[in-house]
Amino acid sequence: MAEIAESPSTTEHPLGTVGASRSKASSSALRESDVDPKTMRTTTPGLKRLFLTFSVLLSFLLGFPFLWKTVEIYRSPLPFGDMDALSKQIESSPLQFPCHFQSVFLNFDSRSSGGILDPRELRSSILSEMTKLTSQTLERQCGSCGENFTLSVVVDSGDRACRQSDERHGNGLTPNCSYKCGALGALNLGDGEAVDEALRSALDESCSDYGGKLYTVVVVNGDGAGEGPKALVGKHRHGWISGRELDAEAMIGRMAEMFVKIFMNGGREDGAIHGEFMPVGADGRVVLSFSLLNANPDDWFYDWDFQKLDDTLLNPVIEALKPIANISVESQVLYHTPKSSFSYWDESLGSYIFSTKDLPFFVNSNEWHLDTSVAAGGRTKILQFVVYVPSANECPLSLQLPSGEISKTNGFISPMWGGVMVWNPQSCIKYSGSGPPARLLMHPDDLHRIFEVLMGQLRQLFGLKSDSIYVGAADVLSRQHTCFNLHSSGTTLGSLSRLVQSLPRMIIKDEIGKQVKFSLEAAQLAQTNASVGLYEASAASSRQARSLAEDAFFHPSIMSVSYFSFEHCFAVYSPFFLPVSLHVLLAALREWRRYKQEKAKYVRWKVKQVKAA
Amino acid sequence: MRSKLPDAASSRKMAASSAVVAILASIWLCSSIAADASGSSSETTMHTNNWAVLVCTSRFWFNYRHMANTLSLYRTVKRLGIPDERIILMLADDMACNSRNKYPAQVFNNENHWLNLYGDNVEVDYRGYEVTVENFLRVLTGRHESAVPRSKRLLSDEGSHILLYMTGHGGDEFLKFQDSEELQSHDLADAVKQMKEKHRFKELLIMVDTCQAATLFNQLHSPGVLAIASSMKGENSYSHHLDSDVGVSVVDRFTFYTLAFFERLNMYDNASLSRLFNSYDPNLLMSNAYYRTDLYQRNLQEVPVTNFFGSVMETVHTDSAYRAFPQKNTPRETRIRTGNTAEDDSRRSILTDMTKAECPFTRIVSSLESKMETVGNLDSLVNYGLVMILPVLVVSVWLST
Repeated sequence: MAEIAESPSTTEHPLGTVGASRSKASSSALRESDVDPKTMRTTTPGLKRLFLTFSVLLSFLLGFPFLWKTVEIYRSPLPFGDMDALSKQIESSPLQFPCHFQSVFLNFDSRSSGGILDPRELRSSILSEMTKLTSQTLERQCGSCGENFTLSVVVDSGDRACRQSDERHGNGLTPNCSYKCGALGALNLGDGEAVDEALRSALDESCSDYGGKLYTVVVVNGDGAGEGPKALVGKHRHGWISGRELDAEAMIGRMAEMFVKIFMNGGREDGAIHGEFMPVGADGRVVLSFSLLNANPDDWFYDWDFQKLDDTLLNPVIEALKPIANISVESQVLYHTPKSSFSYWDESLGSYIFSTKDLPFFVNSNEWHLDTSVAAGGRTKILQFVVYVPSANECPLSLQLPSGEISKTNGFISPMWGGVMVWNPQSCIKYSGSGPPARLLMHPDDLHRIFEVLMGQLRQLFGLKSDSIYVGAADVLSRQHTCFNLHSSGTTLGSLSRLVQSLPRMIIKDEIGKQVKFSLEAAQLAQTNASVGLYEASAASSRQARSLAEDAFFHPSIMSVSYFSFEHCFAVYSPFFLPVSLHVLLAALREWRRYKQEKAKYVRWKVKQVKAA
Repeated sequence: MRSKLPDAASSRKMAASSAVVAILASIWLCSSIAADASGSSSETTMHTNNWAVLVCTSRFWFNYRHMANTLSLYRTVKRLGIPDERIILMLADDMACNSRNKYPAQVFNNENHWLNLYGDNVEVDYRGYEVTVENFLRVLTGRHESAVPRSKRLLSDEGSHILLYMTGHGGDEFLKFQDSEELQSHDLADAVKQMKEKHRFKELLIMVDTCQAATLFNQLHSPGVLAIASSMKGENSYSHHLDSDVGVSVVDRFTFYTLAFFERLNMYDNASLSRLFNSYDPNLLMSNAYYRTDLYQRNLQEVPVTNFFGSVMETVHTDSAYRAFPQKNTPRETRIRTGNTAEDDSRRSILTDMTKAECPFTRIVSSLESKMETVGNLDSLVNYGLVMILPVLVVSVWLST
């Protein structure tokens, strides 16, 4: 068996032996037969395999960004920093409004008051009284006048000197806003209405829109009736103290009290209104729903001319409350609506009595279908005003207070729900004719009285006293509502930002982004308006801020149950891509390694050739 | 536990002089006021109204008892004063008009058919396939489409007390809706948290009547929430009795005993919540009723059941009409409640740590479970597990070549 030298092929031969090259002549270059395929090769390795595998890998790599983009979640960019900043800012620095006060001393000549009154001294003493009173309550309360209120004092002694304390600079009051000397002539102090009108025309209301409201108290030293000094508050932003032989210093306390308690705090002891007396819906709307309830129409049933009342009595109130809430009104008449509490006959008082203990059970929600409003949207607040006409076997029906006396109004409210008033017909004689009784229209006087009570209840529901009639009360409401709305929008936006950041895979629509942006702008506007002193404008923009913030927070697409976590997505996609991509990767690596090996073999052969040459 | 305060005050009154009595009384008043003031912020808002959300989550005829449970509670809550406009009733199926119902348009919770629960004035807000987890969470959080009518919304405010009652089939940390999806305990906790942030309730009472109901409360963290469940983890809740005429079980035990408690009450009563909670007897229920009070600040003995189950309106008398002269303010009316302090029920429902004799497999599984519970961050453990897939895959592929 001689060794047969065979020439191996150019590609690796599975039977190529190692020593086959020895038989060759050493003079010639190494022939292919000398090459051991396992360590050397004579040609450069081809790139086809490498190209094939790497192209597949490259296509995977190129496709990955497209996949990522298609599973990306659209999140409209929300200004988280601004939202958190707003909520922090509102909590840390409560909103204070500028208020302007003015006091006028009329007819205090030097004879009666023992010396010439100095306006500056009066001013400083009134200021100290007022600061004493305001420090009793929480000074830094939101919506209060705070420490930046201004006070000016005018002493008008008839035709002679009219001295004023200097308080013109820096508070933005135009000169014709303050009291003009000699504007108030002789006042007929007996007639309150006339005094009110005279004061109103003298104190020129038209300037009050700019720079805050001006509240005035006039002390009139006249020859009124002989009793002590009387303090009265008018319908507009002024009040007066009148009496005879008044001492100016003694009046300072009462004047300060009037400024603080009536004009600053709206007649309440503390300045703040609690949340349950702010029945404004989250979209800034309130629906007043008036219902006339006939308990038993077989006895009698009443109807009312609501349209006339709406025009004459309701519209002014709605106009006055316009900055606080957008109010709409509806009315209905219901039949067969008995109440669910019991009453008993009291001989001494001559009527059926229900007490204050029965009040929580008066409203019979099973039979009284009050909430059938179509005017109200999802986030509007409805306030029910119910006029209850009792049946013949409970007529007349009166409310007895715990003190034993009969209530004059026969009505009560439930905060955030509305008010009820019981109206007894003129005569309680049961209808005994045949057939149904005729429809009786309520007399306009009765209706007027009923509406007075209902308007008092409306004031109560908004946190004021039921008989407060002055415009200053609306100012207090504007301030408090501005505060409340800003606070609410701040907390809502803060909650929204926390919620959105805690759900990183939730889609945030553009609409939400827009609402948040507009809400922040409205809140900013409200704060600027408040600092300047525009009460109504700040109330309106704060209401808008709150409604937009609530719309954003309660957007129906923010439901965590609809969005999957990242682990879920990974679990869905990985069975498709992970095994395949692993194989592709491994193949590419293997091909790369093989190419390197072949390259090394070729290099070795080359080296050997060079050495042999 | 009996309240000893009146006795102490009276004994002191006998023993000390009037000055000492005055000082002690003022100190007690101040401390009680301070204790009240140091409670949660929900103390400062007034309780304005009560709401009830009653959910039945099961379909099919053999789950008749869940519908009967919910309708019985609906009837109770209406009888005690909550109006329809403040009740959201969600029934997942219609048993009254089911073709298998021998008594059409009638639903009973008792085999003697004493009461037709579907009789008069039943207003169902969500019926049939509308009862889904998504709708339920939308009701709680308030995120409806704008076209949803007011009667289907939970329009509560910051002074509302809400009763949430759920019944159906459930298990460990979930409750089954409609036989196709689940409400998990973290979903419920998340919804309650969002409600609290938006001040949609002052206090919330959650009552759940399913198997292993107590696990549904595991993730609750919001203050002002009181929760009671019909059974603990690992226990089933059982039905009370079978009505052979209708052909199915008609009421569950937990709800049956709850109703028995309420049938003794009327609108003017003031039995306390602790009396309700202590009225459940584990022997009769065949499970341990569990209630959770750590998130609730008030003392259960002082809270009347009508705070949640009835309807007490806060009322203020209107002292005067809209006129020009000021009048004196009459003080605000508050409803004076005399708490029922004599608790003489001998039956208790305190949960007991029962050690049962188990087979080794169960022991291993339960020890593993307890170890898992001690792991702090379960999410990161899951992520590590997912990341570990890759090397395992690589190794297996390499081995296969």
